[in-house]
Amino acid sequence: MEFVDIFSYKLPIAHLIDQLTNWLTTNCAGFFNLITKGGSALMDFITNGLLFLPPLLLIVLLTIAAYFGSNRHFKLPALTLLGLLFVYNQGLWTGLMNTFTLVLIASLVSVIIGIPLGIWMAKNDKVQAVVKPILDFMQTMPAFVYLIPAVAFFGIGMVPGVFASVIFALPPTVRFTNLAIRQIPKELVEATDAFGSTPKQKLFSLELPMAKPTIWAGINQTIMLALSMVVTASMIGAPGLGKDVLSALQHANIGTGFVAGLALVILAIIIDRFTQKFNQPIQAKPKLTPKQKRNHRLIVGGILAAIILILGAGNFKSLTQKAKPTINLGYVDWDSEVASTNVIAQVLRDQGFKVELTSLDNAVLWKSVANGSVDAEVGAWLPTTHGNLYKQYHNNLVDLGPNLKGVKLGLAVPSYMNVNSISDLSNQANKTITGIEPGAGVTAAAKKTLKAYSNLNDWQLSTSSSGAMTVALDKAIKQHQEIVITGWSPHWMFAKYKLKYLADSKHTMGRSENIHTIVKKNLKTDNPKAYRILNKFTWTKEDMESVMLDINNGMSPQKAAQKWIKAHPKQVKAWVD
Amino acid sequence: MEQLEVHNLTKIFGRKRKAALNLVKQQVSKTEILKKTGATVGVYDANFKVKAGEIFVIMGLSGSGKSTLIRMLNRLINPTSGQIYIDGKDVAKMNEEELRQVRREKINMVFQNFGLFPHKTILENTEYGLEVRGVAKEKRRQLAEAALDSANLLAFKDQYPNQLSGGMQQRVGLARALANDPDILLMDEAFSALDPLIRRDMQDELLNLQEEKQRTIIFITHDLNEALRIGDRIAIMNDGQILQIGTGEEILTNPQNDFIKEFVEDVDRSKVLTAQNIMTAPFTTNIENDGPNVALSRMRVEEVSMLLAVDKRRQLKGSLTAEAALKARKEKLPLMEVIDKNVKTVSPDTLITDIFDLIYDSPTPLAVVNENGRLLGVIIKGRVLEALAVNSSEA
Repeated sequence: MEFVDIFSYKLPIAHLIDQLTNWLTTNCAGFFNLITKGGSALMDFITNGLLFLPPLLLIVLLTIAAYFGSNRHFKLPALTLLGLLFVYNQGLWTGLMNTFTLVLIASLVSVIIGIPLGIWMAKNDKVQAVVKPILDFMQTMPAFVYLIPAVAFFGIGMVPGVFASVIFALPPTVRFTNLAIRQIPKELVEATDAFGSTPKQKLFSLELPMAKPTIWAGINQTIMLALSMVVTASMIGAPGLGKDVLSALQHANIGTGFVAGLALVILAIIIDRFTQKFNQPIQAKPKLTPKQKRNHRLIVGGILAAIILILGAGNFKSLTQKAKPTINLGYVDWDSEVASTNVIAQVLRDQGFKVELTSLDNAVLWKSVANGSVDAEVGAWLPTTHGNLYKQYHNNLVDLGPNLKGVKLGLAVPSYMNVNSISDLSNQANKTITGIEPGAGVTAAAKKTLKAYSNLNDWQLSTSSSGAMTVALDKAIKQHQEIVITGWSPHWMFAKYKLKYLADSKHTMGRSENIHTIVKKNLKTDNPKAYRILNKFTWTKEDMESVMLDINNGMSPQKAAQKWIKAHPKQVKAWVD
Repeated sequence: MEQLEVHNLTKIFGRKRKAALNLVKQQVSKTEILKKTGATVGVYDANFKVKAGEIFVIMGLSGSGKSTLIRMLNRLINPTSGQIYIDGKDVAKMNEEELRQVRREKINMVFQNFGLFPHKTILENTEYGLEVRGVAKEKRRQLAEAALDSANLLAFKDQYPNQLSGGMQQRVGLARALANDPDILLMDEAFSALDPLIRRDMQDELLNLQEEKQRTIIFITHDLNEALRIGDRIAIMNDGQILQIGTGEEILTNPQNDFIKEFVEDVDRSKVLTAQNIMTAPFTTNIENDGPNVALSRMRVEEVSMLLAVDKRRQLKGSLTAEAALKARKEKLPLMEVIDKNVKTVSPDTLITDIFDLIYDSPTPLAVVNENGRLLGVIIKGRVLEALAVNSSEA
């Protein structure tokens, strides 16, 4: 009889989950693609329609709607008008519309799934017993976890964002519906039964009308949760205000982060107040005369027709422009990659391409190139930094070789610290290496370094974001404290501060590296022209740092790219010919 | 075959029903069974027949199983065992669809808290049963309006239930059931939530309705007076079992066990009510302090023509009329000399029946005095008559 120690044997749960998602991804690919295609088309349709209307006109229309919707009080319309004008003034209008589309679709899907599920739960105790723990699980599981399968199933963009938002935002609608129907006084339910109602008659004449206020409260909760998910969903490429917030976090821009956050708050308050209007308790209201009913129908019908017409017009406009070939560039929100991606994007635009830029986490980005949801990226640090990712995905993508030679990674310290090599480190800086995103290549290298050097065995790596790291660095230098960071160049911080790399005798932080361009597998056949340009794209460290510095000094990435392109016509010509 | 027949109808709630059934057969009480098995006996072995056009009252204290019993008749609660024959068809064996037909056409219900839909107008509530049956809109409007008209509520048809008083709401509940023109009407403590005066009106209204068209009504109440007023026959329930079925007269004169005896004792109030239950606060004058002017001014204030005279220790000395007080003022006499010492007195636990003979020929009220001669209250004619009238408000 052999004793098996279960504590020395780790249950392969993670492995099983991986197997399951892989199986789903391969076997249900057709289904997922259909949803992705349909969902993207629908959301583009709505966003295009919303963006087709002049913002000021839309703001005025919404203000008028708020005025009549709030029984001619002035608070809501004033808030709508000022809030939306503020968002428009800050140049976040497109983001707002994208966010609104995401929230709208996520809420609609939640309602379409949630209300029937809630009704079923209310009617059947067994279903309730099964669904309740699942809902608890859905609500308490960190939303980040949903992002991973969302990318595996639906790639990147709006659709996985909606998928994650729905999982996160669905529970309140289900719960409130269930609760509302179960709370209907027993005597009323008995009355409907006693008169011989069918279940359907019971549902439509008693349960839904009585439950309506509570269900609306649930829907309101769902909308708010969907809104709170937009920031998280932006990590997997969902466009909108979340992207601005996330980017501000990664660059540690307090101001832009605050403004984007404020825009989200304004949107949340407006949506909340509008939906509260539907959430009023049952009360005696005078019956409408047939004539009033007809007028109501006419008004509602007119509004619906107008909306459809506008959406149609907006999309007709975009359809006529759709002749342009589209190329989807992915990037990680690091300053170096923002510079290079914006330059190549501008070059492609000048060549008549429609370019979509998607900012993603590094690991997600590699996965997206491998599964073809992103056409190309120009920020692959090889062979060491992103070596693991390359190993994982190299069979499913094409490496077009370096576009920038001689980059360096390493642990860096301010020059006033008296350590010169990694092996000199003992107990400086609280034995902490201040790092960037957990998914970044330099993070993996730093982990390897901690393992390789015996003097670092009680050191720790604290990951955050590249923006947070530069803020910490800035603070440490101003206060003349010790700090060890995961550094890489080209980067503006080397121009701004006096920093030095620590000598790396074991080369665990990589020897000299290059930045490569990688593209999806069949780009060459799909889009030969873009492929050729991407293939020829090369520049130098100095080129990149000049663009980076412009951006860091407050120029918008697109402007900085345009400026650089203007200044280097020859170089650009060589790429496009 | 009567219109409604119930055979061996039993309902046990919870688990371990078999064990509970065995215990019920051994006459173990409900609480004991609950303790032993965790199952609740709702109704055990109910048997009765109801003729067409009869008002059959089921009564009992709360928890006696009467609500469960009435809900089994239209299967809002499914029986554990037994048969319910309506016009010879067993309702307990019907499938959903057949049951639905019976509920739509034959048997309707009125609820204790009215069971009106708060989001529908009075008219929409009234036509609900017809709407469910799929009656055309015009036709059901007409029927519902007629039902409301006979309940004098047509003017309120576009109002919502919460805008109406309790009595009106219950008339709507009744109209809703009657608009369907059912053969059998189930009424579950229909008047219990109303105040006593409206309750009497509703009982009268129900009896008037019965005169116009004889319906079979199963009426549940916990109030014996209500049962006696409207019931053709009464079944008394306790602990889920029917103890006795009979006319009101049979039950009053020939109660079959102690429980029912106790139960019906209440009704003959003159046998249980005593002086202290009906006495009122006395208007007195303290003859050791007060003079005739004080006594007269008190009479004016209280709007009476007579006061009871007491001393400082509230010992009853007699009665003082207005005439006597005027005489005392004129002749400057102390009150002590003009009071009438022959006041009829009774002790606080004298029965009303005995008081009745005393007060009948007494011009003055009776004084209620305890064994120490202390005045507690007075009894006036009106209160005696009121107490003897059957009043359901104190059930």
